[in-house]
Amino acid sequence: MKSPQKYLFIPLIILASAVGSACSSGKSVTSGGNTAASSDSAVVTTLPELAACDTTALDSVTSPIEITFWHGMNTTLADELVKLTDSYNASQTKVKIKLVAQGGYEQTIDAYLQGSESSRPDVVQMPEYMVQSMVDTKTMLPMQSCVNNAEFDLSTIGDKAVTAYSTQGALQAMPFNLSNPVLFYNKKIFKAAGLDPEVSPKSLEDLTAFSEKIIASGAAKYGISLDSALDSGGGWYLEQWFAKAGELYTDNDNGRTARSTKVLFNNKTGTDLLTYLQGLLTSKLAVSVGDNASGQDQLLKLVDKKELTAMTIATTAALGPVIDVIKGGQFKEQISLEDLGIGPMPGPNGTQGALVGGASLWIVDKGDDVKNAAAWDYIKFMVSAQSQSTWAAKTGYLPVNKAAETLDPLKTTYATDPRFKVGFDQLMAAKDAPSSNGPIIGPLREVRTVVAQAVAAIFKGADVATALAEAETKANQLINDYNALNG
Amino acid sequence: MFRRRGDGLIASAMLAPAIAILSIFVVYPLGRAVWLGHLRCDATGRKCRTSGWMQYFDVLRSSDFQHALKVTFVYALLTVPAGLVIGVGLAVLADKQIRGIGFFRTIFSSTVATSVAVASLIWFVLLQPQVGLLPDMLSMFGVMKNPGLLNDAGTALPAIAITSIWANLGFTFIIVTAALQSIPAELFESAMMDGAGGWKRFTNVTIPMLSPTLLFVSVVLVTRAFQAYAEVDLLTKGGPNPERSTETVTYLIYGQTSLVKNDIGLKSTTAVLLFAILLVLSLVQFRSLERRVHYGN
Repeated sequence: MKSPQKYLFIPLIILASAVGSACSSGKSVTSGGNTAASSDSAVVTTLPELAACDTTALDSVTSPIEITFWHGMNTTLADELVKLTDSYNASQTKVKIKLVAQGGYEQTIDAYLQGSESSRPDVVQMPEYMVQSMVDTKTMLPMQSCVNNAEFDLSTIGDKAVTAYSTQGALQAMPFNLSNPVLFYNKKIFKAAGLDPEVSPKSLEDLTAFSEKIIASGAAKYGISLDSALDSGGGWYLEQWFAKAGELYTDNDNGRTARSTKVLFNNKTGTDLLTYLQGLLTSKLAVSVGDNASGQDQLLKLVDKKELTAMTIATTAALGPVIDVIKGGQFKEQISLEDLGIGPMPGPNGTQGALVGGASLWIVDKGDDVKNAAAWDYIKFMVSAQSQSTWAAKTGYLPVNKAAETLDPLKTTYATDPRFKVGFDQLMAAKDAPSSNGPIIGPLREVRTVVAQAVAAIFKGADVATALAEAETKANQLINDYNALNG
Repeated sequence: MFRRRGDGLIASAMLAPAIAILSIFVVYPLGRAVWLGHLRCDATGRKCRTSGWMQYFDVLRSSDFQHALKVTFVYALLTVPAGLVIGVGLAVLADKQIRGIGFFRTIFSSTVATSVAVASLIWFVLLQPQVGLLPDMLSMFGVMKNPGLLNDAGTALPAIAITSIWANLGFTFIIVTAALQSIPAELFESAMMDGAGGWKRFTNVTIPMLSPTLLFVSVVLVTRAFQAYAEVDLLTKGGPNPERSTETVTYLIYGQTSLVKNDIGLKSTTAVLLFAILLVLSLVQFRSLERRVHYGN
C-alpha cells in the first residue's frame, strides 16, 4: 500500500488550525455569525406573484386530472384516509387523487421543503406548527383565494379551526384533521380507588387529589404518566396550558397581528405550571416516560403490569388507534374497552378550552389553474359534512365541519360513545380571545425543541426558573434568526 | 512526440467518463457544501445570507458540535473494538469441522441480512420499558424499567452500541470466516510440530494471517460508527433530553430534533467539518495500522 503521508498534511493543517481556536465557546451551534445581517448581503430569490384561484377551471375538463397528495398519516388514520379518498375518486370523473404516504409529518415536511419545485405534490398535509413556515415558502396558494372565488361558505367550518390556520386575515390552509390533548384514564383503577369512574380531574388540584387517592388505595403505582416530547408534554401541552390560562405564548397576539418577535412563556404561569409538574414527579404521584420515543410510551404506562398508572394525556387522534389496540386483546387483563375513560385535559383553575392541533391541507401553486381547481374540488370534498362525519367517527379526530355531528356515523358515535366528543366539547368551550388561537412563529418546531429540553431538565430536577430562562433565550434567538431571513 | 500526444488524447478520452461522473457526483457537491458552509439559509434553501467563513470556527467551537463529536468518538470506541473481538471470536469458534456447525454459522451470520432499521426496531421493542420483554425479565437492573435503558442519560449510548454491535456481527463474522478458511493448514501443522499450543497458534499464526482482513473490517466499522444515524433516529432521536447523550454528529446534521436540520448553510458547515475529521482519522488509521499488517509475502 502506498503511503498517503504526503497528503496527510492538508487536512491536518485544517484541523490543527481549527483545534487551535477550538477551546469550546460554550455557545450553541446556531448562535454563531452576525445575526443582524445587513440586507445588501442577502441572496434572495424572488418568486412570482401568487396566482388567483380560478375554481371554474375544472368545468371544461374532459379527461381526468391527476392530483398528487402527500400526507403524513399512519396506521388506522392512513387506512381511513385511503377509504375517504377512494370514495372521492369514485364519486366523479374529472379528478383522480394519487395518495403518497410520506410516513409522518416530519418526513412530509422534509420532503416538501428540501425537494425541488418540480418534485412537489399538488396538495400537501401539514401539521399546525408549520403555518408560518409554509406561508414563508411562498409556494402555496392561500386557501382564501379559492374560498372567495368559489363563494364557499366558510361559516360551515368551525371558527376556531379557521382562525388557527389564518394569518393576515386570510385562510392559508384548509383545516382537515383536528385534534387536541385529552385525559386518557382507566375507569377500573378509579373504581378500585373509590373514585367515581365517570368523573375525571378538571383542575390541577383535582389531579393531585385523584392521584393521591389512587396511590393510597393501592389501585395503581402512579396517578399519571407524563412525557417531555416536543409534540406532547414537552412543547405542545405547554402551549395548550397557556391557552387554558388565557395567556399569550408569544408577542403580537401570538403572531396573529404581526410576526412574533419573542416568546412569553417565561412568566408566572410558565413557572407555576412546571413547578407543579416537577412536584408531581418528586412526590411520586406521577411518573415520567421521558422523550417518549415511540410516541406511545405515556399511553403504554396505562397497561404496564409492573407499574400500573391510572391516567395520561394524549391527543384525541390516539383514540381510534388505542381502541383498536384494546380490541386486539393483548392488554385485556389491564384494561377493557369499557374501562377506557376520556376526560378533558386538566389545567390551571380547571378552565375548559384547547388549541387547535392536528393538520391542514395546502394547495401547492404551480401556476396551473386546472390543477388548482382540481385540488380545491378534492379539499372541498374532504371537509364536507359527510366526509368529516365518517373521518371523525373512525379516527378520534374532531370534525372541522359544523354539520358533521348531525350526520351518521358521527351522530351515532357521539350519542353512543361520548368519549369521542370530549375533545370537541373542550375545543368549543375555549373562549374567544387571541390566546385561544395558539402561537404562530416560523421556527415553532425548533422552539418546541428547546422548550422540550427545558421540560426534560425540569422533570429531572433542574431549577425551573433557570431552565425556563435558558429556553427563553434560545427560543428568542431562533425567532430573531428566522425573522432576519424572512422578515 | 506525435505518438505521445496520441496517447494523451486516448487517455483523456478514456478518463473522461470517470472524470465527468466524479465531478458531478463528488467534486461539485463537495465544493458546493464547502461554499454553503458560510451561509445561513431558510428551510427551502432558497433564501440565504452570508454569515462569513468564520462560521466553520463558530460551529467547531460551539458546545453542540463538540458534544456531538464526543458522543461520536465514544460510540466508535464502544462499538468497534467489541464488535471486532466478538466477531473474530465467533468466527474462530465456528471454524471447526464438526457436525452441525453449519447451523451455528447461519445464526452467527444472520444479522448481515438484517437492515439497521429492522435491527433497531427489534431492540426497541425488546427494551421498551412499559411492555418490552427484557425490562420485566431483567428486573434486577432497575434502570431497564425506570426510566428504561434508552431513556437514561448514562445507559442510552451503550444500549445503542449493543444493538449496533449485534447488527454488525454478521458482517464481521462472514469476512473473518472467509479469511480463516484461506489460511494454509500447513502453517498450523508446522506450528504444532514446533510445540505451539492453541493460544500460541492463535496469536502467532491466526492473527498475523488475519491482519489485512482485520484492518479492512476495522476501517469499515469505524466509518459505520461515524455515520451512525438510523439506529439513533429509531431508538432515541438523539435523546434522552436534556443531556442529548446519543446525539452523534450525523444526527446533529439532519436529525429530527436537530436545530440545524432546516438550515442548509449550518448543516453544510457541520457536514464539511465531519468530512475533514473523518478524512484525518482514516489516514491516521491507515498509517498506524498498516505497519502491523502482514500481507503474507
